[in-house]
Amino acid sequence: MSFIEVDNLRKVYRIGNEKVIALDSISLNIEKGEICCILGTSGSGKSTFLNMLAGLEKATKGTVKINGREVTSMTEKELAEFRQETTGFIFQSYNLLASMNAVENVAMPLMFKGVHPLIRNNRAKKMLRAVGLEKRLYHKPTQMSGGQQQRVGIARALISKPPVVFADEPTGNLDTKTTAEVMEIVVRMCRKHNLTLILVTHDNDIAKYADRIVHIVDGKIESDYPNVSIVPPEEKKLTETERILENLNKINDTEENENENQ
Amino acid sequence: MRILDIIGMSFKSLWRRKVRTLLTVLGVVIGSCAIVVMISLGLGMDNAMKYYLTQFGDLNVITVYGNVWTDGQTEPMKITEENVEYIKTIENVEGIFPKLAINSEMVSVCAGRGERYRRMYGEIYGVYPEYLEKFGYKFKEGEVPEIFSQNFIIFGEQSAYNFFDTKKKRNNTTYPQEQEDGTMSDPFFNPMEEQILVYVNNTNKFVEDNMWGHYESAGKAYEHKMTCVGILDAENSGGNWEAFDGLFVSMDFADELYDSYVKANKIKDAKPPEISELKIYVNDINNVATVQEQIEAMGYYCDSMESARQSMQGQLGSLEAMLGGLAAISLFVAAIGITNTMIMSIYERTREIGVMKVLGCKIKNIREMFLIEAACIGFVGGIAGVLLSFIISFIFNKFGSSMLGLDYMYQLNDGTTLPISLIPFWLVIVALLFSTFVGIASGFYPANRAVKISALEAIKNE
Repeated sequence: MSFIEVDNLRKVYRIGNEKVIALDSISLNIEKGEICCILGTSGSGKSTFLNMLAGLEKATKGTVKINGREVTSMTEKELAEFRQETTGFIFQSYNLLASMNAVENVAMPLMFKGVHPLIRNNRAKKMLRAVGLEKRLYHKPTQMSGGQQQRVGIARALISKPPVVFADEPTGNLDTKTTAEVMEIVVRMCRKHNLTLILVTHDNDIAKYADRIVHIVDGKIESDYPNVSIVPPEEKKLTETERILENLNKINDTEENENENQ
Repeated sequence: MRILDIIGMSFKSLWRRKVRTLLTVLGVVIGSCAIVVMISLGLGMDNAMKYYLTQFGDLNVITVYGNVWTDGQTEPMKITEENVEYIKTIENVEGIFPKLAINSEMVSVCAGRGERYRRMYGEIYGVYPEYLEKFGYKFKEGEVPEIFSQNFIIFGEQSAYNFFDTKKKRNNTTYPQEQEDGTMSDPFFNPMEEQILVYVNNTNKFVEDNMWGHYESAGKAYEHKMTCVGILDAENSGGNWEAFDGLFVSMDFADELYDSYVKANKIKDAKPPEISELKIYVNDINNVATVQEQIEAMGYYCDSMESARQSMQGQLGSLEAMLGGLAAISLFVAAIGITNTMIMSIYERTREIGVMKVLGCKIKNIREMFLIEAACIGFVGGIAGVLLSFIISFIFNKFGSSMLGLDYMYQLNDGTTLPISLIPFWLVIVALLFSTFVGIASGFYPANRAVKISALEAIKNE
């Protein structure tokens, strides 16, 4: 059983009397810790696919299972809990709350979980340090650049170490240099904590950060292959082992850190 | 989500739009202030009405008269001791005050050395002295002793003026008269200082040796020396006219006087002494009507301030309802203002709400945030409204009666003014609860709208 199982997923929009097939019977399995890029032009259905994986939109047909739980049949209430426990979300337009500073924005998912302000703010500060924003802790979103805002967004998505992180065109509003910075950070952090990252983009340059690229055209999977550009197939096994070892060390590290905090 | 965080989020979003929040709160301030002031004016009128009614008699008291022809056909009811006992057991009756009148034909009263001063006329009343104060009798001097013995007597305010001087042939009577220096003329003696002698008459003769004349007894049957323990304050005794010139002794002693009179004058088939009047104290003004009905059903003629109170209350009630209704309209407008503000704010925050949903905020928490925002507007508006009402109420009480030409209603003879506007503590609490409730109620629809916003709103890119 895979970590994410998409089975025969179909989405049909109705515009007036016309039916528009946004997704046409997509089936896909994604493993834990995988960084998967959904690549497609605008209108290809890639965003719809992401929305349905995250449970933001109802499917017309088919199922999505994450960690053995069927997302497609959850009620609003179950979805809220599911999002708290399982998912993180990085938005194209950052979507930071304007009235809150960086720490408060990052701590927000923990606030929804009911974590005490002292604990969650501490963890938020740590996350902000991890994305290199230790000097911007108490800045409001309007006082930060786009790249900085998106780094806050990343810290927010990852603060509760959700097993799945969704990123919807995370660099769509950023310039090339910042894009590289932001992507490095996301990928590094997801690998560090062995989080599954589902990355939606139209940009081939972004896709190269992924382990696997799924190309969607007109609501159908056109191609699905491992990303050869970064990891040559023959070397992959070795790095995988290395990565697992490295991750084990990191996990131990973070657990120790967290024990210290409490 | 922790409740403090929810409140914090609500405050933050209220604070972000300070001017708009302030204007919305202002609506509630005006609305709640209008209601509080209107109700306080009504309470002030109520208070004034009750004040005037108590000038005529205690509102809790029902007076039952014996021997009154109620319908001109049935034999009038007498107040017997048996019925008094029964009335005592009626629900909500807190105390009873029967009055047994012994007239001057039966009993003589003298005062001073050698019985120099003699009472010309007036009755002696047998009462339960321990209830005097409950039934509105106030004392000018002295008080009711804890144990009221048969030797004790209480004088009405001007009872001492009813005595004439037996040693003088002329100018032997006196009456209360204002003197040149403004004080009242004194009676011949101070009852508190002289010994009072009461005796039952034995074969009477009417003698006219003063301007009123009096009954002269051939002999003294059952002579009793008494001490005056108090003088009543007639003007403040709430319409109890006997406080002017009556004499009060204990019921037992009055019974004894009656019995000895019957015995001394050898009256055959004497009836038991008759209670001329019975006062009943009802525990609550609102129960007076039902108690009165029960006593009237026994066939007695009753009198109380109830009918007067009810008709006045009815008139005031409709006036108060009108004032309250006017005020309620302004609070209703304020409520619409809250709803409007909240809907506006939800339009603005659609994306934010979507983001919160995507980040795992529970629907319940989103609803709570908006309800708390609305409740805050209501509550803060309520507090400010109540404070403002206190100021307005103060101004009304200080200057209102002359400004509105209501002096005849609120100004008392001694120069003090009754409050035009009264804000009791319960009104403050009710106003705060009500304005908060109005806030929550008007936040209900917007909160439900907020809850229905799709998480997809967060994804949309403008």
